[in-house]
Amino acid sequence: MTALALTCGSLAADGFVIRRSGMHWLRGDGYVCRPNEVVGYCNISLDQVSGQRSGNFPLADEMELHVAFAPPVAGCLRIADGRSPGGYLNTLGLHVWNSDDVLAHLEKPSEGDQSAQPASVEMRLLMIAGRRMSALADTNIGILPGWHSRSRAWWCDRSGNELSTLLCMGVCDAAGVVRGNETPFVEAFEATPSAAQLVYVPDHPIVPCAPILLEQLMRSPAQNEAIAADLSRGLTNGRVAPDSNDWMFAGALLASLQNSPMRDRYDVLTPTGLQHLGPANTILMSLNSEVRSILRHKKLGYAAQMLRHRQTAAGPAVRSWLASEFEPIRRSIDDIKRDYRQLIDAVAAQTGARILILNRMSTSGFEDITSYVSFDAPMSDTLENIAAKEMNLMLHDLALECDVSIVDVDAIAAELGGSQNLPDGIHHSAAMQAMVRSEVVHILNS
Amino acid sequence: MLHELRLTKINPNMTAAVVECVYAATGSMLKMGDKLCDLSVDLSSGFSQYCPPISYFRVVSREKVWFRKILVAPGQSCNVGDLMAIFSTEPDELVDGAAARPLRITTAGIAHHSGMWSASGT
Repeated sequence: MTALALTCGSLAADGFVIRRSGMHWLRGDGYVCRPNEVVGYCNISLDQVSGQRSGNFPLADEMELHVAFAPPVAGCLRIADGRSPGGYLNTLGLHVWNSDDVLAHLEKPSEGDQSAQPASVEMRLLMIAGRRMSALADTNIGILPGWHSRSRAWWCDRSGNELSTLLCMGVCDAAGVVRGNETPFVEAFEATPSAAQLVYVPDHPIVPCAPILLEQLMRSPAQNEAIAADLSRGLTNGRVAPDSNDWMFAGALLASLQNSPMRDRYDVLTPTGLQHLGPANTILMSLNSEVRSILRHKKLGYAAQMLRHRQTAAGPAVRSWLASEFEPIRRSIDDIKRDYRQLIDAVAAQTGARILILNRMSTSGFEDITSYVSFDAPMSDTLENIAAKEMNLMLHDLALECDVSIVDVDAIAAELGGSQNLPDGIHHSAAMQAMVRSEVVHILNS
Repeated sequence: MLHELRLTKINPNMTAAVVECVYAATGSMLKMGDKLCDLSVDLSSGFSQYCPPISYFRVVSREKVWFRKILVAPGQSCNVGDLMAIFSTEPDELVDGAAARPLRITTAGIAHHSGMWSASGT
């Protein structure tokens, strides 16, 4: 056996000192790991180099900043005592980042001439960053704890290629593909060795459907101010006293309406310094987001749609405001197609990003319909499977007209077994997530 | 002859369902294809801190019967196996006897709609 020292690896930001916490180990001493398997992480922070002033503090709004470590080769992990002090010392950035620091060792079977084997190898670094919905959400245990309006991750490699960015603006079916359901992002990156950044924007409180994303993209500062003033009046008009849930919901709603994640730019740390990336190259959306009925503000005309379980998170004043100031607008399939088309054209003009859309599962093993006489026309208004088939067909028509790619969840679920892997049509099993993730990568590389 | 409607497993992971609406009136005659009720199935068993995996289903009669007795109401949760309603082949048959067999039904996945019990509170 040979023991390979696993070192921190290079990480740089010009004009800044990178500090790190003690190590949190996700795997124990003696664990046999695969290549590129994340085995631990630490928190990092940036301090300005003494005497330097910078107007632009990179990653300043991302108060959760972690580096996850993955040995680049397989072996038996050996973690020496004293490498992890624990407690707050594993949270606070007490150590200056030193690429030569040895974090652990990896035991491997001896191969050939041992004198030719390197004595150490750099850990592969997976950077993970989270922008808190509020600076108050500072739970400081674990990877990406708390409540984030945006989270992202990227392999911090020396490839020299500029990272491409995939932005997930979907609901649960897309979120699980990008963020996974174990350690955030780790499942996706262990399966994706390529130079890419994955960004996830959650669906709370606003459902990311096409008309809402389009309005986010096109809204002017004056319109943002009008929305904020109207919401403020709605909560303080004396009709219903707002409680703490109302204020928190209103803050999240405003943050969601007033920002367009599709225009976001990104600072990324790399082994050779900071890179500044433009808006996302690819946007992943869910057809499941395109609900038939959305809310539209009666006076200001903007769209706002929330999943029903999100609405129950609001307090009585927000619910009263939603009921009095908004009206439901029914969308036909043609309307949804038109909304998609407008969004795709606007994104192409503003950022040039490519759009990927997850279609819907359109079959179910839970029905036994022997006659459709019982169901009024149009049956897609009632029967979910027919509605899903019509929506999937609309997506095919859309793909013929413009540059959009379909991720065929319907076919994957049928192949894998929908009842076991997609029991409600939207929440995927881990196996299903892995297959959809693989399909997304395949489409991006094709 | 009496027939009964019990909550059966629509989904292998479900343990219960909520009655969202009841369409038929007791005492009425149902023909094949008439709607009986809508149900919601929450696979998270009500753990509402997460996006709930809720599906909605419509139960439709596949035979001509008299709708005699309803034992559930909108908003009520039923466990799998619970008796929900009793039907008879004759209009004036006593309903306190044992059912000869389950009512023949069709179950279909449907979209949530404004007539459902769960729509009334949002």
